[in-house]
Amino acid sequence: MSLLKPFSRLTGLNTANILLVENEEQFQQKLADTVVLQEKTVNVNVLARSLPLPMENEESRPRIDLVVFIIHLTSELSFQSAETSLKYLDPGYFQGKVCFLVTSARNVSVPPERLVSVRTLAASLHCPLLCAEDQTTEGVTTAAHRLLAILKVAAGLVPMATSLYLSTLTRCTVPSDIDQQNFE
Amino acid sequence: MMLYLTTFPYQESSCIMGRRDVQIHFLTLLVLYFSVMEERNSTEETPRNNALAQRRSKSYRQSMRSCVEATHLAYTSGLLTALRIPRSRKAPKSCDITKQVDPDQVALLVKKEWQLSYVTPLYQFRHTQLKSYSKQLSAFMVSEKQQGLAIEVGQELGFKVNFSVVLGLAETDKDAETVFIQILSKQVFSAKDDAPKVVWSGWLTCVNGDLDYLRSLPLEFVSLPLFCTRGPESLTVLVKSWFENIFDCCFGPLDINSTNLQWLASLWTGCHPTINIQYLKLVWTLPTLPPMDVTYTVHPQDAWELWDSMRQVDTTEDSISIDEVTGFIKGLQSHFFRHFRIDLSAGSLMQISTALGSSHHSGKIKIASPNYIPTILQLLTECALLKMPI
Repeated sequence: MSLLKPFSRLTGLNTANILLVENEEQFQQKLADTVVLQEKTVNVNVLARSLPLPMENEESRPRIDLVVFIIHLTSELSFQSAETSLKYLDPGYFQGKVCFLVTSARNVSVPPERLVSVRTLAASLHCPLLCAEDQTTEGVTTAAHRLLAILKVAAGLVPMATSLYLSTLTRCTVPSDIDQQNFE
Repeated sequence: MMLYLTTFPYQESSCIMGRRDVQIHFLTLLVLYFSVMEERNSTEETPRNNALAQRRSKSYRQSMRSCVEATHLAYTSGLLTALRIPRSRKAPKSCDITKQVDPDQVALLVKKEWQLSYVTPLYQFRHTQLKSYSKQLSAFMVSEKQQGLAIEVGQELGFKVNFSVVLGLAETDKDAETVFIQILSKQVFSAKDDAPKVVWSGWLTCVNGDLDYLRSLPLEFVSLPLFCTRGPESLTVLVKSWFENIFDCCFGPLDINSTNLQWLASLWTGCHPTINIQYLKLVWTLPTLPPMDVTYTVHPQDAWELWDSMRQVDTTEDSISIDEVTGFIKGLQSHFFRHFRIDLSAGSLMQISTALGSSHHSGKIKIASPNYIPTILQLLTECALLKMPI
């Protein structure tokens, strides 16, 4: 089973690589283009539908600094495919190099249990959970901006900050089940 | 195994993207149990009392945020209590509702399609003043109709409004009694002595609402969160604006999301031994280009056998858990995938229907059999309470 390892390759100078994993392949292209436009040091984006990545271009693939799972809450399949892809990541990635991006969280037709399950998944893996809006250009730009902030830390381009340090601040938490009036 | 597959021709030339309708009827489903048994997840015992979630012992994180199940961007939890989305429900029992409710009134409720909305609690609504409410509402409607619109001679000879109470639907002490509203008016070409016909009807109800929430309301407020309407939209808007003016409440559309549609599908399928559901039809919309609608009709006996195999906890227990429901739907979806290589979980469930009733995602419900009214209304009341902004 081929795991994607975070430190198996050398880094490039002034480069950062982001892997966008999305089952529907709609949002990742727009997001990738916007990320590249916003920042000049980001050279390469890798797009994938699901992990594991194909073996053919294993040699030419650069080191991946950040893996982003894009989950569309309107379909159950999106979440399940992201869950199964998680198995193909080396545990070294979960120290701040994995991020979950969720779209259409405000949609009324989405059952809230799906967002709850994504949150519990993100909280159990200590990863940040971002909500994005993929229908408008401002939404895509905002999402790209936020991902770029995390990417720069993950690639080591920000002095005095490491991805593990950042993840302790940004990771998703699920509030425990306390009754409001019950202050024992 | 016989399969009927009909596809409608897709017109390439039109610039409007048409919808392809694919209707597939399964007459028999074979070898379904084995696939289902592999997928079964272990179910843990879910608490029967669905109003209270598990309380954790003292946690060091004392936060004012309400519990996770109810804090969502589409639902806002009540300021007074936190509402929880139930993970298990009681199995519906066939009850002869005519023992509790007048059969004529039951006949008014069943076999009609209702559009649902939620209502915030009504301020100073008195069940004793229904007659004066009828007069006020009819006067309001006549004055609204005459205001600024072109005079239509004959049609609006005057509205007659009927408020009535449907006793017996409320399950607990805290539920307010159901109020039924009818608007009658004379038709244009009716003879002099013809009785006015019902042009619009609606009812406000609360069945087995969340007890913590109902107890926490101040005394002047009456909570009847579920509002069902049937009739022209213009009249619905007038009735809603009258209620908003008099009782200081807010109305909003109530969508039934896919989880609740799945609950309804499983609850109705579970009723098959007592009353034949005749078919189980599910409609999905897939986000392809152009969007594809899939209508999946299942033979009732097969649906029931699948549902029964999901209920591996001994069926003497009353409660059905959400895991059994999701397992049931997953079984249906994987069977479809095996035959057509289309994964239905990529789309969204829009509509379900059986002989016992049908329900659409946009908030339409039709109850065909009076036996299971309390269960359905309880589910819908919960949806309405969760959707309300207060």
